[in-house]
Amino acid sequence: MQDLQTEHKGQILAVKDLPTLPIVLDEISKLLEDENASPEQVAKIISRDQVLSAKVLKMVNSPIYGFPRRINTIQHAIVLLGLNVIRGLIISTSVFEIMTKSMIGLWEHSVGCAIACKILAKEIGFKEPEEFAVTGLLHDIGKVVISIQLPEIKNNIESEVETHDLTFFDAEKQQMGFAHDRVNAWLADHWNLPLTTREGIAYHHRPGSAQYYPDYAYVVHIGDFLARLMEVGSGGDDHLPYLKPEALNHFGLEFKNLENILDSYSEELLEVSGLSPTLDE
Amino acid sequence: MQKIPLSYAKPAMVLAKPVTRNDGTVLIGQDTELSNSIINRLERMDINEIVVQGEPVELDNDSAGGSFGKRLQRIDHLFRKHGSDEWMQQLKQFLTEYFKSRTL
Repeated sequence: MQDLQTEHKGQILAVKDLPTLPIVLDEISKLLEDENASPEQVAKIISRDQVLSAKVLKMVNSPIYGFPRRINTIQHAIVLLGLNVIRGLIISTSVFEIMTKSMIGLWEHSVGCAIACKILAKEIGFKEPEEFAVTGLLHDIGKVVISIQLPEIKNNIESEVETHDLTFFDAEKQQMGFAHDRVNAWLADHWNLPLTTREGIAYHHRPGSAQYYPDYAYVVHIGDFLARLMEVGSGGDDHLPYLKPEALNHFGLEFKNLENILDSYSEELLEVSGLSPTLDE
Repeated sequence: MQKIPLSYAKPAMVLAKPVTRNDGTVLIGQDTELSNSIINRLERMDINEIVVQGEPVELDNDSAGGSFGKRLQRIDHLFRKHGSDEWMQQLKQFLTEYFKSRTL
């Protein structure tokens, strides 16, 4: 299994085939190494790619973030949402096309999870619900990469889900020895994602293992559950994942809180059907 | 609450959200009870969808999440792997009651 895992890992990270992330991300990462990098400087870099900027702004103005007034510039978006969120949005809009082609319903599921994470974060009382939202948006990105880099295995996974009623996660483990959460961790390292995002996406299936930012892992864990409960899009199967009771305990959440959360969630979901970053809508 | 095509609107349904123009101006307020004349007015204003309280309509295509009736139907299927887990059954029961209460 170890050798197989190494082989698959190598294939997954074969850089030339990875979804092309915009060059700007690299430039931004370099800029961010200088702690004095200002929103203006970052905005200038992003704005050079007009198509990308437009896509990001569309997402920023979407119900996921729910700002009361329209945000018209990348700079303003950075000031309001922070660089982590903007970086996350850049990644997720970049893989949007591939995601919608490779796994039907995965984009909608990701958006659904993002919204759930935002609502959860607000209910719990976190000051930066947008950070949690973008982590939720990226939580299944490993599935997209697996699907591009290992298409045959991806077909096997889907086959197993269909014929043996496995969860997508269990089928991944069966086929590869590891699942998309592991791939998320590799991608986070490869793309230099902030640690909060990394832990959120790498540990959403085993949040207790998150060392530095368990809050993120637990929020995505619950958010994923809620998105599947409400069947927003598809994460690859129609099973409800096990919701770890310690996830609710971690935040002191009770069923009463879940009621409030579900009320808000179902209301917000009414607003998002059809949301995509494509520009012709 | 439920988002429904205007063609499904009937008198006595109550708006859960206001009907607004694109610029945000409220045309018909939240909590307004629909009457035939209001429905006709909405048609003339080219409104396609409204959001009403409760779940008075049985829709085929349930857009993301909305319909709690649909959630109720699906809950056994979704929880099928957790039949022998006490915690998950507790959770399932809570959720079933929650969905039921919201479809009244």
